[in-house]
Amino acid sequence: MAQHALERLMRKIEGQEWLDRPGHTLEHGYAFVQNVFGLSQRPVRRFLHGVWFGHPLHPALTDVPIGSWTTALVLDTMGAGKGRREREGYQRAARRAVGLGVVGALGAAVTGLTDWQYTHDYARRLGLVHGALNAVALGLYTWSWWERRRERHGRGRLAAMLGYPLVAVSGYLGGGLTFRHLVGADQSEQEADRLLQPRDFTPVLRANELQEGTPRRVEACGVGVLLVRSNGQIHALGETCPHLGGPLSQGWLRDGSIVCPWHGSAFDLETGESQNGPAIAPAPRFQARVRDGRIEVRRVPPVVSAPPGSALTRQQEMPVQPPRPRQREMQP
Amino acid sequence: MKKGTQVLTDRKKQTTEVITPPKTATQMLYEHHGVLRGIMERLSRTSRDDIEQRRALTDELYSEVQMHERIEEHIFYPAISDFHPKLDAAWSEHRQMTDQLAALLRADPGGARFEEELRLMRDVLEAHAHLDEELEMFPEVERLMDEAWLVEMGERLQDRLDRLRSSRTLRARHRLERMMLRGPGRLIARTMRRGS
Ligand code: FES
Ligand SMILES: [Fe+2]
Ligand SMILES: [Fe+2]
Repeated sequence: MAQHALERLMRKIEGQEWLDRPGHTLEHGYAFVQNVFGLSQRPVRRFLHGVWFGHPLHPALTDVPIGSWTTALVLDTMGAGKGRREREGYQRAARRAVGLGVVGALGAAVTGLTDWQYTHDYARRLGLVHGALNAVALGLYTWSWWERRRERHGRGRLAAMLGYPLVAVSGYLGGGLTFRHLVGADQSEQEADRLLQPRDFTPVLRANELQEGTPRRVEACGVGVLLVRSNGQIHALGETCPHLGGPLSQGWLRDGSIVCPWHGSAFDLETGESQNGPAIAPAPRFQARVRDGRIEVRRVPPVVSAPPGSALTRQQEMPVQPPRPRQREMQP
Repeated sequence: MKKGTQVLTDRKKQTTEVITPPKTATQMLYEHHGVLRGIMERLSRTSRDDIEQRRALTDELYSEVQMHERIEEHIFYPAISDFHPKLDAAWSEHRQMTDQLAALLRADPGGARFEEELRLMRDVLEAHAHLDEELEMFPEVERLMDEAWLVEMGERLQDRLDRLRSSRTLRARHRLERMMLRGPGRLIARTMRRGS
């Protein structure tokens, strides 16, 4: 029952078109702050999106406030029936738990806002409500901590009790962002990825049609492939961006990587690794060679079971470097 | 005297408006893309020691891009949102333009970085204005809407652009924004480049 109600709530939020305007205003404001303080620079973006972590940072950080505030709730309940001495111990512990949660929530807010700004329609509206609810909860818990510090524990408990349901509902919406809208998941062509097409070198384009610095989209066995000639060398990557599936062939080159035109994820031309986010997963890699004046590509198979240096790895005859085992990301 | 020239230009505008056929929305936006391209073209012809000129043209580019994004976001995109489904991508591409503009402002106009950022600015603009709008969105709008709608929309866009261009508060706001983007942003970018 409760599940259905929450599900309905989620769909309702997704249909609220009027949320787009405040959403864009918020994004413009945050964009300006990021550009003034250099938060849009590569290292900061890498950190906030969680590229260094191999997994979106925000969902991992939300465990801190949810865990701490749940702990505080337990401590509040346990301390209630105890004598004065003992109760003081519980009160002190609960205050610390609330405080730790507030710090964690600030981190979750910054990383969440950073991920949210690069979402589209339904996910964007849902994310806005998710963030607004959490902001109110954060306010309530900050108030709770403040009251507890002034030894007004009754009020402190009240604030926490008001905040907790908000956190729970908003956590549900956050789950919807991950599992329904796949925010933070690998959205490059999953299907083709699984089938590993094309397995053998397939001619896709005449070599003289690919100009230095101009990305092109080609198709090989129904799979979209991005071709780029950079410093004379030909690189081939999956054409759909792992973030939200943006067309990488319409992007531009910056410092040896191809930049997605939608949200600016930069992928290393050699390795396909994301340099900055919001994309976490690498772009699928293809091998490219020129035969009889034609460019041929084939998939670099992900070597999951074979250890580096094994016969299987050597079979793949990489011209540049042995392929690194590519980990498939799992969402929590 | 100022008033006199104002009247003169006003009159001139009126007469030209009578002669030229009314512009459709897509034509109007296409022409404004041309204005943006023109500024970048002039910028790319400046030399490194002409810092004054580079700065002035960057300022102009900043304002024109911002105004272009505003008229599209406030008037054009909402009007076509019912039948053009890929608007979110367009919004996101505007954001990329805003970020690249900030990177251009942060770059020292007397250095090589500035030229690199300018090249990128052109790529970012073409990715949106040409590949997305001129090749996909505009033809689709022209196919689906009739002439009267397009002309009326064109007038509204031109009207708003004129009003934004002559707004003093907007000019002051853009100046302040540029100052902030050039100030701390540049310092932070420099230290970060040294660090990485
Ligand atoms: S789709 Fe978002 S960065 Fe490519
Ligand atoms: Fe646009
Ligand atoms: Fe445009």
